[in-house]
Amino acid sequence: MTNSQFQMSAAEAEQPPVVTASGDIDLANVNEFSDVLNRAAADSDAITVDLSEVTYCDSAAVRALFAVAATTKLGLIVPATGTIITLLNISGLDRVATVVTRD
Amino acid sequence: MAPPHFQPHQHPQLMALLHRILERIQFDHLDAVGLAITVHDKRHDEVPSVLAAIGVGADVAEAQLAGIGGPVPDALAYQVPVLSPDLWTDDRWPELTLATMNDRAPQHESIWEQVHGAAAVPGVWADDATVVVCCTLSQPASAATVASLINYEQLVSAALITTAAENASAIADIITVLQSRGAIEQAKGALMGLVRCDAEHAWRMLRRASQEFNVKLRELAVALVEHISGAPAEQPDTGTPITPDKRTREAARLMWAALSEAPLPQ
Repeated sequence: MTNSQFQMSAAEAEQPPVVTASGDIDLANVNEFSDVLNRAAADSDAITVDLSEVTYCDSAAVRALFAVAATTKLGLIVPATGTIITLLNISGLDRVATVVTRD
Repeated sequence: MAPPHFQPHQHPQLMALLHRILERIQFDHLDAVGLAITVHDKRHDEVPSVLAAIGVGADVAEAQLAGIGGPVPDALAYQVPVLSPDLWTDDRWPELTLATMNDRAPQHESIWEQVHGAAAVPGVWADDATVVVCCTLSQPASAATVASLINYEQLVSAALITTAAENASAIADIITVLQSRGAIEQAKGALMGLVRCDAEHAWRMLRRASQEFNVKLRELAVALVEHISGAPAEQPDTGTPITPDKRTREAARLMWAALSEAPLPQ
């Protein structure tokens, strides 16, 4: 895994900044994930996080997403099936973020 | 690690501290009608129990743990923070309703009518012991509620860890637990990916394997992560890294081989 695992694209026109993650998000790299989320949220009152290429994420990622959703309007793009959407449902993160599913 | 049969409620100073933490949370969340700290010590096959509570916190948590379901048992089982903007109407726990609570604890009827949101945040304070801090609000709960509880969960876990250690090795024990947290999370994640199960199931597999092979759970977790990745497991820079012995590494290899349906690579 390299730094390119978490990419940020700046806000444009009406669209908020987008953080695109890939691979596994766990305790090993969650700080890096949080940093990118915070940077994206710093200049914007809304961000979108694209998790559709994420292969695994656990409690650490859920905590990071709750933390950023506490101060920012959060949009999530996730695979339509699999563990991530299940995790969002169990945690209730899907009740406070706008979730878009992608096949 | 904790001596056998460490019972948090037998430590008055710990109980006083936990109560002060709950009061502090109450101060931060003036709309909280109930707060509770629930512990689940799996080492002695104990069922989850409410350790400390204020307001209607104990009633809410105990109802959820009695089979009705809710944020507290889900946070314990899945080890993720759980948020409910509106508890009585949440479709995840159809049995947890205003009517249920009025039946169980009619003396709090006026409070049950006020309840809206709830949040529960889990943590680990020993190899096989977990805790959940939960709050029930008269307002809808939000991501900010969870973010705040995450900070308090760390305080609660730290209080439990230090009291469980009860001696000069407290700091070493804290570091060990923090190291286990990382390795165990990683190992659980690998098992969840391999057998497509939830965190609770992965946890049980790890525990069962550590008992069957008679090796320490945290060392098995490190060995498993290192076996799968072929690289050292992530561990904090502080403290002595967990280095599994040969027997533990062999147990990890056997466990992984037994669970992998396909032949092992290499």
